[in-house]
Amino acid sequence: MGNSDREDLRFLQLNFIGRILAGFTHEINNYIAIIKESVGLMGDMIKAGKSGKNESRQYLEIIASIEEQIERSLDLFRYLNRFAHKMDMPRVSFNVNESMEELLALMNRFANQRKIRLETDFQKDLPSIQSDPAMLQFLVFCFVREKLDRLDKNSRITVKTARRDNSVTIAMIPQGNRVEAETERLYSPEIHEHVIRLLGGEILEREDQGIQITLPVNMPDVSSGDGG
Amino acid sequence: MKRKEIKVLVVDDEVTFADTLAQRLKMRDLDVGTAYDGEQALSRVKKEEPDVMVLDLKMPGMHGMEVLREIRKAYPDIQVIILTGHGTDKDEEEAKRLGGFDYLKKPADIDHLEHKIRKAFKEKVERAMTAIAFAEEGEFETARDIMKEEEKK
Repeated sequence: MGNSDREDLRFLQLNFIGRILAGFTHEINNYIAIIKESVGLMGDMIKAGKSGKNESRQYLEIIASIEEQIERSLDLFRYLNRFAHKMDMPRVSFNVNESMEELLALMNRFANQRKIRLETDFQKDLPSIQSDPAMLQFLVFCFVREKLDRLDKNSRITVKTARRDNSVTIAMIPQGNRVEAETERLYSPEIHEHVIRLLGGEILEREDQGIQITLPVNMPDVSSGDGG
Repeated sequence: MKRKEIKVLVVDDEVTFADTLAQRLKMRDLDVGTAYDGEQALSRVKKEEPDVMVLDLKMPGMHGMEVLREIRKAYPDIQVIILTGHGTDKDEEEAKRLGGFDYLKKPADIDHLEHKIRKAFKEKVERAMTAIAFAEEGEFETARDIMKEEEKK
């Protein structure tokens, strides 16, 4: 891998982290805005002297809505916290389903913006794999983003996991109409191939069935030193 | 009962946010409706012609900036206040260039938002009055003409 490719990889990884953080802060800001307005509404109601039986029900509904926003915020914080800690672990045993669930939760906003549904079809009891979870999330992020940009609204993307012999497969299957989209720097086949080599895996891309990544349960030692 | 003379349309894809904000504005004697995406907003505008629109930017499907563009083209009398969680400086400049009345960051203080809505409405009325005065003098045919003249400046 040349210097320029290494710089590209670093750029793409920073871009990935930046986008995840932007999505996260946007969502959290929305939840806080709802909480602020809900609390404000209760204050308005108290000031207006609304304390009858009907209003009691409304107060309870508002409180339930606040609790819901807090739960949504906490879930997102947990996902982001786990996501951030993955950066410290270039080779670790982890569960692919959990890792994908976390990534998709953090990517949900991008999909919602394009009115596309992200769905999962995870095989239960998948074996843990020894690999680089941050690098794997980066790779899947690039593929899912690409599909999001190239699908029309009301489409869906299913992320499917399965066990195959001594490996785990992750497939990203788009369903819906395609649209023309400009290709971003995020979709560099050379970089993706390099990353998948580092993970000791293989990419299989089929026009109608999306992309499938196959990863060995144990990542081989690749001492290229440019993993990022 | 006091007549609610200012018609407001709150446009935001976060349904709970839009509904709660609408309820708070209603308690401040404003006549408030809601729309949960850009397309819905344009269809409601067609039917109800609000005086002021409180518009989010990042919404699924039609972006708020596109909605603003459409509104300025087809309904230049409607005042648009952008209320967004994550607008950039560039977004703010663009919104103002397109004729947005104001640009606020979410969550905004409700009293401040109410003040901006009333100010936007006042400006709308003043513009209409000026247009009528000019039309009476025969310089412009309609309020829309004078607004077009102003936009050219």
